[in-house]
Amino acid sequence: MKERPEPPTIVVRHGGAPGPVLREVCAGAEEEGVPTRVEPSGTPADAPALAHAAALASPLEVGVGIDGDGAVAVHHASLPPGAPALALPAGGDPPGWRRAGAVAARIVTGLPIA
Amino acid sequence: MELVVGVDVGNSTTEACLAQVGKGAVTLLATALTRTTGVKGTPKNADGAVTAVRAALERAGVTPDALHRVLLNEATPVISGLAMETITETIITESTMIGHNPATPGGTGIGVGVTVAIGDVLDGPEGPVVVVVPPGWDFDDVAATLNAAVDKGVDLTAAILAGDDAVLVTNRLTRKVPVVDEVAAVEKVPLGMLSAVEVAPPGRTIRTLSNSYGLATVFGLDPQQTRQVAPVARALTGNRSAVVVRTPTGDVTDRRIPVGELTLRGEARTVRVDVDAGAEAIMDALARAQPLVDATGEPGTHVGGMLAQVRDTMTDITGQPASEIAIRDVLAVDTMVPAEVRGGLAGEVALENAVALAAMVRTDRSRMQAVADRVADELGTSAAVGGIEGAMAALGALTTPGVERPVAVLDLGGGSTDAALLDRDGACVAMHVAGAGELVTKLIDAELALDNRETAEHVKRHPLAKVESFYHLRHEDGTVQFVQEPLPPQVFARVVTLGADGPSPVPTRLNLDAIRRVRREAKRRVFVVNALRALRQVAPRGDLRALDFVVLLGGSALDFEVPDMLADALAPYGVVCGTGNVHGTEGPRNAVASGLVMAYAQAAAP
Repeated sequence: MKERPEPPTIVVRHGGAPGPVLREVCAGAEEEGVPTRVEPSGTPADAPALAHAAALASPLEVGVGIDGDGAVAVHHASLPPGAPALALPAGGDPPGWRRAGAVAARIVTGLPIA
Repeated sequence: MELVVGVDVGNSTTEACLAQVGKGAVTLLATALTRTTGVKGTPKNADGAVTAVRAALERAGVTPDALHRVLLNEATPVISGLAMETITETIITESTMIGHNPATPGGTGIGVGVTVAIGDVLDGPEGPVVVVVPPGWDFDDVAATLNAAVDKGVDLTAAILAGDDAVLVTNRLTRKVPVVDEVAAVEKVPLGMLSAVEVAPPGRTIRTLSNSYGLATVFGLDPQQTRQVAPVARALTGNRSAVVVRTPTGDVTDRRIPVGELTLRGEARTVRVDVDAGAEAIMDALARAQPLVDATGEPGTHVGGMLAQVRDTMTDITGQPASEIAIRDVLAVDTMVPAEVRGGLAGEVALENAVALAAMVRTDRSRMQAVADRVADELGTSAAVGGIEGAMAALGALTTPGVERPVAVLDLGGGSTDAALLDRDGACVAMHVAGAGELVTKLIDAELALDNRETAEHVKRHPLAKVESFYHLRHEDGTVQFVQEPLPPQVFARVVTLGADGPSPVPTRLNLDAIRRVRREAKRRVFVVNALRALRQVAPRGDLRALDFVVLLGGSALDFEVPDMLADALAPYGVVCGTGNVHGTEGPRNAVASGLVMAYAQAAAP
């Protein structure tokens, strides 16, 4: 029996992210119609590094990283690790987190992100 | 042998041509180009002229004292002005409809019911309901409330949301209904009224609310009422989602704004035309009035205001009183301008009809002699004004390889399009018509609703491309280009112009094809129409077939597509048409400056 391939998703990696941030990021992607998979990260890292690792793990090559303080980054696997498509500092607001999720989904669907 | 320099002061650039002249022979030494200082035809031009002459001298390694004479052009006493007015207006009264296109509506189908605020839905309203959700509600709470209401037996048929949550809410509903979101002024949706919400599947447009009889069926209208809602159906055509609320007095009106009458006074007769009859009717009237002596608009109307504005601009530039300024040509262009709908609840936009008018004025006060005196002072040499611009341009154009007399030149400038014909015997006729590069920019700006002249200028000058990933873009001709460095996120998936500073996004939701169509149509309606109009006025017997060579000059002759469009338009008349290449090296530049030198050499020859 061949194993069924898992459906493609945006990977969201976090190092103990605050719940509201995680919820809004996932909601942003869902509103745009793209599924997400949430994974806690074993090793501590900043948001852009988490996002880049997540993008490399995503079949869609798009990842979101959220650090323990709630800083958010959106990345594509082909971009240089230090240059995420979007980076939000810690202390953001729900509309900002929602937008980060939407940006990740729009990179997948090829819609403008700015 | 004499060392002379021809200087052409244009609207935007000042060009110089330095040459050795002797016994009718001309030896080109150097050319130079600089930005024009001040308004063309005013004493301030001297600074730019001196800069251009110095640059040419330096390039040729000659000192100013060796210079024999500076020759300046007689600036064409033509200035043009522009005005644009919308002539229709869409107004929604009593908030009867929402016809915007949110990026992500939820659910599909049509729901009909009475509007109820979400706070009241758990009170168990009777009959089918459409729930209205104000800003600030979380998507989980909305879904939980709606699910609880359905469990209580409420007949939920649709929802209208303020926030961008439609998909999130729909995904959590136990009963799937159409949901329209991003309705900014949701508080203005009347409650307790019968309403219909329709969302089409992805890739489709709504079918029921954009159909007059669909509306009649949904709301049970009689023929008289159906006639009244027909504009609503028309306003919603092409949308993916829509809301219509039936209020006792609500309506959508498509109002025609009275624009007024344009009076074209010709030498033989005077013709009046209503501006809202459109560009074609205006241009027909103009053809009957030719040659035009003056044009006026009915005072107190839009057209009166438009022409007054043009006259005021001319007064500022020339110092002539408005009463002495005669409009000698007009070009009217029909255009469609997106405008926000008055009374809309979600920032709806409707395409309105507009007319753009370019008007051209002839002045009799050229102050080039003052410019010549200052140039002579600065350079310590003699300076003279001479040569009609059109004739000089034709002489300069003759240095283009493959051209001989009779030759017609078409100078595609900023404000006016100028044609001149130099016949076999050296006689020259010149004509100026209103409308050129500036009008093209204005049309692009208005039709794409950019509201930014610089962006419009970018769209006009550069080809488009679509950024398809962080590492590649597709040009408008379909060619794909891979780039080594990642493209910035702000241009990702955007339509961009490709200028010298790299890709810059065009701020519109229109796709590449639509933007390209707007750009090309603007150029066609101005340059192709005007080229034919101007050439017919200089061609023998007004017959384009009588022309042999047409040489394109001026800034817009450097455009990446206008020369091809003109060559296509002139091909049926058997005319050779192409961009000029003055001296075989200068392209469409420097024709007038070179013509001045050649005319001087011819006059000096025995």
